[in-house]
Amino acid sequence: MKRKGIQQMSWKGLAAFTVLILILPFLLSTSLMITKATFAGIYTIVAVGLGLLMGFAGQISLGQAAFYGVGAYSTAILTATFGISPWLSLLIAITAPALIAYILGHTMARLHGYYLAMATLAFGIVIHVLLVEWKGFTKGASGFYGIPKLELFGFTFTQGISYYYLVWAFALLVIILSLNIIHSRIGRALRSIHDSEVASSSMGVDTGRYKMQVFIISAMFAGIAGWLFAHMSYSISPGSFGLDGSILFLTMVVLGGSTSVWGAVFGALLITAISSFVQALGSKISFITSDFEHVLYGLILMLVVIFLPQGLFPAIAAKLKPFLEFTGRKKKSGSITAVKGDQRA
Amino acid sequence: MADSVQFLISGLTIGSIYAIVALGFVTIYSVTKVINLAQGEFVMLGGMIMFSLLKLGIPYLIAFLTTIAMVIMIGWLLERTIVRKAKGADALSLIILTIGAAIFIRGIASMIWGKDSVKVASFASNEPVSVMGATITPQSIWVMVFMLVIVAGLFLLIEKTMLGKAFRACSVNPLAARLMAVSPKKMSSFSFALSAGLGALAGLVIAPIIFPAYDMGVMLGIKGFSATILGGLGSAPGAVLGGLLLGVIESLGAGFISSGMKDAIAFGFVLMLLLIRPYGLLGEKNVGKGGL
Repeated sequence: MKRKGIQQMSWKGLAAFTVLILILPFLLSTSLMITKATFAGIYTIVAVGLGLLMGFAGQISLGQAAFYGVGAYSTAILTATFGISPWLSLLIAITAPALIAYILGHTMARLHGYYLAMATLAFGIVIHVLLVEWKGFTKGASGFYGIPKLELFGFTFTQGISYYYLVWAFALLVIILSLNIIHSRIGRALRSIHDSEVASSSMGVDTGRYKMQVFIISAMFAGIAGWLFAHMSYSISPGSFGLDGSILFLTMVVLGGSTSVWGAVFGALLITAISSFVQALGSKISFITSDFEHVLYGLILMLVVIFLPQGLFPAIAAKLKPFLEFTGRKKKSGSITAVKGDQRA
Repeated sequence: MADSVQFLISGLTIGSIYAIVALGFVTIYSVTKVINLAQGEFVMLGGMIMFSLLKLGIPYLIAFLTTIAMVIMIGWLLERTIVRKAKGADALSLIILTIGAAIFIRGIASMIWGKDSVKVASFASNEPVSVMGATITPQSIWVMVFMLVIVAGLFLLIEKTMLGKAFRACSVNPLAARLMAVSPKKMSSFSFALSAGLGALAGLVIAPIIFPAYDMGVMLGIKGFSATILGGLGSAPGAVLGGLLLGVIESLGAGFISSGMKDAIAFGFVLMLLLIRPYGLLGEKNVGKGGL
């Protein structure tokens, strides 16, 4: 299949998406909605990383919120307690999760399937407990207060439109980076691992190394998201980084579909929208509480796995395909491979 | 010394519960190759349904049996309505599916029973007994006795009965089992019902000690899963050993280091052990691929 085809498709999508992100704040009426849209960006960053891990390396992480938390807390402690510049602590917020992922990855290279789910689950709980208990650094369960705002050339990013654009700038960078990874040699290797680990390793693909790399990348993305989250809010507390958080990210990726970067983005946006909608509804109807949200997530996970194992995005993309065909290339390159390429792109 | 004995006993008590939950994991896994992360929710349902039935004024023994029957029904329904539909999905999807089921059940439970812990009366008297300077509540003796009875009962069921033979046949080779007129589908339903029953028993017997709440299943499920992995996925003796070991380590860690850190200590231990023995304590090397 021609390489050009996939890339053209994805860049077009990216351009359209960028325009959507740029004009979105003008369509949202309240500051609460802008905050939600900012959160959607932060979640997108984590979800894209997790999507790479699940869809391309075929691995599951049930502790992604822990990396997110490590990123948030490392910048919070460095900037508020030690007075280091937030831009400098961004480096730490990325490298600390990466380092942990590297260490965990050593187990991962040997652990497969269910054992890995267990390992990341256990890791997530260990980190959550440490955040609560290591009071000297993290200030415990009540939360860490006094995280400074981000400043650049005298301009302060406060919660609102400016922070929205900052977050989405990072999110778009992450998306572009991920699209590039997928279309690179690493991406092809990862896809082959996902389809058959045995086959790819017998073709000379160092499966352990690639899985480790994508695990580290997903941890780094979560770290960036944590950094953005910490500097957006004045305070953070361990509650955001527990098992519920990990499952929220998982739901996003499963709902959107992990076989494409856009699936994860779509899932993050959709779940944020659903959650906002349910919360808005909850303020009017007493019956609908945060528990209702969890019931909904559980339902989504089950229904998607049973009826749409590929996720929502590929299904929608397939439906829209006939309309898109007009604008783009004609189906010259064999329909089956074309469908596959689009789903991955 | 008295302290150590005390910690050891409370560790064995909670460890027995982990062992029962872990046996539930093994039961389902051995036939269906599904890791049912909703296993902890069966335990929670056992405790909570018992609470509701007792509140209605139903006699203890009847409430006890009704609870088990109801949770078995729920487990059976879970298999029939959800798990069977997704048959043939990969391991990743099946894990996600059972996580979804777990969140769903937990959410419903919190809507029914609220978020507060409830109190369930203990089996018999509540007068603590003193052994070697340590105090033991009768209920924790009940827990250990139940664990032993369950282990013995499962052993007899699986090894000595025709049903158990069919069960093992499906676990070893579903296709061959079908040729011998054993239905793997029925066995799959049976395994879910059986392990829901095990979960309910665990919930019933631990409820008087830990004050059940809607979210108690999360940790119990994860700990049971850890115990399963610790012992070696698919090995029933391993599950029991893993459960007891996890309980004791957690309890010693809580006693001698810090009670807040107990979960971190327990899971840290599991992670360490997986590093050294990726296939668990009693697992065979070829199961080391996560059973896949």
